[in-house]
Amino acid sequence: MKSIAEILKEIRPEFDFTTSQDFISDGMLDSFDIVTLVSSLDKNFSVSIPGTEILPENFQNIQTIEALLRKSGAAT
Amino acid sequence: MTPVQTVSQVFDAIQQAKAGAPDFCTNFFPVQRKVQDWISHGELFAELRHDAIFFYRRDRDFWHLYYCASSKTALHREIPTVAELRTEPIVLDLVGKEGDASAAIGDWESAGFRRYSRLFRMSRTSTDANGDKTESTTKIEFAVVPDAKAVLELLERAFDRFGEQLPVRYEIESAIQAQQVLVARHQGDIAGLLFFETQGFSSTLRFWAVATEHRALKVGSALMRHYFATQNAVKRFVLWVAADNVNAVQKYGHYGYKPDGLVDYVLANQLVRS
Ligand SMILES: CC(C)(COP(=O)(O)OP(=O)(O)OC[C@H]1O[C@@H](n2cnc3c(N)ncnc32)[C@H](O)[C@@H]1OP(=O)(O)O)[C@@H](O)C(=O)NCCC(=O)NCCS
Repeated sequence: MKSIAEILKEIRPEFDFTTSQDFISDGMLDSFDIVTLVSSLDKNFSVSIPGTEILPENFQNIQTIEALLRKSGAAT
Repeated sequence: MTPVQTVSQVFDAIQQAKAGAPDFCTNFFPVQRKVQDWISHGELFAELRHDAIFFYRRDRDFWHLYYCASSKTALHREIPTVAELRTEPIVLDLVGKEGDASAAIGDWESAGFRRYSRLFRMSRTSTDANGDKTESTTKIEFAVVPDAKAVLELLERAFDRFGEQLPVRYEIESAIQAQQVLVARHQGDIAGLLFFETQGFSSTLRFWAVATEHRALKVGSALMRHYFATQNAVKRFVLWVAADNVNAVQKYGHYGYKPDGLVDYVLANQLVRS
């Protein structure tokens, strides 16, 4: 199973996601990247992140993505 | 449809459509600051349905349509019941991976919309540079607010208002104030411009245009090279370009931009005539 950091790196290899606390305002993820990210997270962690949770604040940094995965039932 | 009065009205309505809807579908990715501008200029209207919301944004002599629906089935059911879709000139954008949009396009085609144009996204990283440091004799500077009228005129001459999300006067003025519009001048007139938005490590090139009589004289080159050279912190450059704009696509390719798989189908109803 890949880590969240590895999945992010696959989507945007040019950024170092471990150094940012706000991927959105640092311009590292846009709304289209989030759609790709959700489907990779769904597959990798065998969850189905509900549409209602696809909000920028859930994708701000690795911790908020972890929290989202836990909420969606993943064993992170 | 009724005028939208507050930003929270928009976000609350979207939340409501999303609630308990795992198949939620939308073409609306609102940015709070932009929504606020549209509302303060009286440009945003909404139509609430049981399972869907339609937002209309006034632009010049037509409307941009955005929808949020609890599911594709709900959207399919609601589209034929919205009278404005047949009585007002409307365009809408469907953005997604190449190939993903076909079912949604079908729904809109059966409601009288046609494929108006197709844009695709291109991106480059800061390491895909193509000799960014070349010196040029053309002086490039930031536009100033009194340039807004000339900037608007050049944009309206160079681009199609239905297909390219052209800014209006107040948006140009605030982009100028935010130092997001570069210009090249010739005898006091604007010979070319480059309009961009930088956020953190990403920069979007929104428009690059040179007046017809100054084309192929390296004005575009000077603008582009100045842009790259001054965006030191940016790691990712993106833009959207009309697929049939072969001239621009080739030039972007020359600067290291490559298609990244996202496409934007612009659909228009019968009342939109190019
Ligand atoms: C696109 C546009 C801005 C280019 O401006 P221009 O002043 O004619 O461009 P230039 O002559 O400076 O050429 C720009 C670069 O493309 C290169 N180029 C020219 N023809 C080319 C071709 N066929 N293929 C690849 N690169 C080419 C030039 O060598 C130059 O590169 P350089 O910096 O290495 O010298 C201009 O054609 C225009 O306004 N078009 C209408 C609006 C538009 O379509 N804008 C783009 C979409 S946002």
